[in-house]
Amino acid sequence: MWSYEKKLQYPAKVGKANVKMAKYLITQYGGPDGELAASLRYLNQRYTMPTPQAKGILTDIGTEEMAHLEIIATLVYKLMDRASVEELKQVDLGGHYADHGKALFYVNGNGVPWTATYIQAKGDPVADLHEDMAAEEKARATYEWLINLSDDPDLNDTLRFLREREVVHFQRFGETLQIVQEYLDSKKCY
Amino acid sequence: MFIPNDQMRLARAYVPFQVYSEHFNPMEGLLKGTIFPELYFPYRKYHR
Repeated sequence: MWSYEKKLQYPAKVGKANVKMAKYLITQYGGPDGELAASLRYLNQRYTMPTPQAKGILTDIGTEEMAHLEIIATLVYKLMDRASVEELKQVDLGGHYADHGKALFYVNGNGVPWTATYIQAKGDPVADLHEDMAAEEKARATYEWLINLSDDPDLNDTLRFLREREVVHFQRFGETLQIVQEYLDSKKCY
Repeated sequence: MFIPNDQMRLARAYVPFQVYSEHFNPMEGLLKGTIFPELYFPYRKYHR
C-alpha cells in the first residue's frame, strides 16, 4: 500500500517555457532509461528477492522513482506551458499533437512509446540487481546529457538533484548485491 | 590498481558498504540530493 503526499519531492522550476527542451526531457518520463521504466522494474522485481532488505530497497527506490516521474511530468508540462500549435510544429511535435493533443505521454525523445521490453525480471536476484545498477548509471548519464542540452539554470538545478539520487541509488543497490550474494553463499554451506 | 582482498572472488562485482560518519544539514542535503558528503558527486557540465 502507498500513501500519497500532495507535494513534489523537489521543486520543479523552469526559467521559461521551452518546447524543444520538453521534447528532449520526455525521455525521462517514458524512455528506455526513464523514471517509469525504473519504477516498474524495481516494484516488480522485489517479489523474487531472497532477503527482506533486498525487497525493502526495491520497494523504497521504486517508490522514489514514482516521485521522480511526477517531477519530470511537472517539468515537461511547465516547459510546454501555453505552447501554440505552431510552436509544437516547429519542434516536430505535430505528430505528438495529433495523437495526444497537449497531454503528456510515455514516450522517448523521439516520440517512440514506452514498452515493457525496456525492463526485465529474471527471477535471479544477482542478475536483477546488476540490471538495476546498470539502470541507475544509464539514468545518471541521461540526466547529464539533458543538462548539456539545457541552458536553463532552474531546470538544471532540478535535473542535478535527480541525477544525484541515481548515484545514491546505485550505492544502495550495490550494498544490496553484497547482502544477497552473502546470503546465497551461506545457503550453499551445509 | 585496485588490489582485491582475500574475501573477494573473481567474476563478482563489489560496491563497498557506506560507513556513516557525518551528514549535511537537512536543507543542504535536499539541495544537493543527498545528506551524505561521501556520496555527493556533482556533475560538471561539458567535462566530457
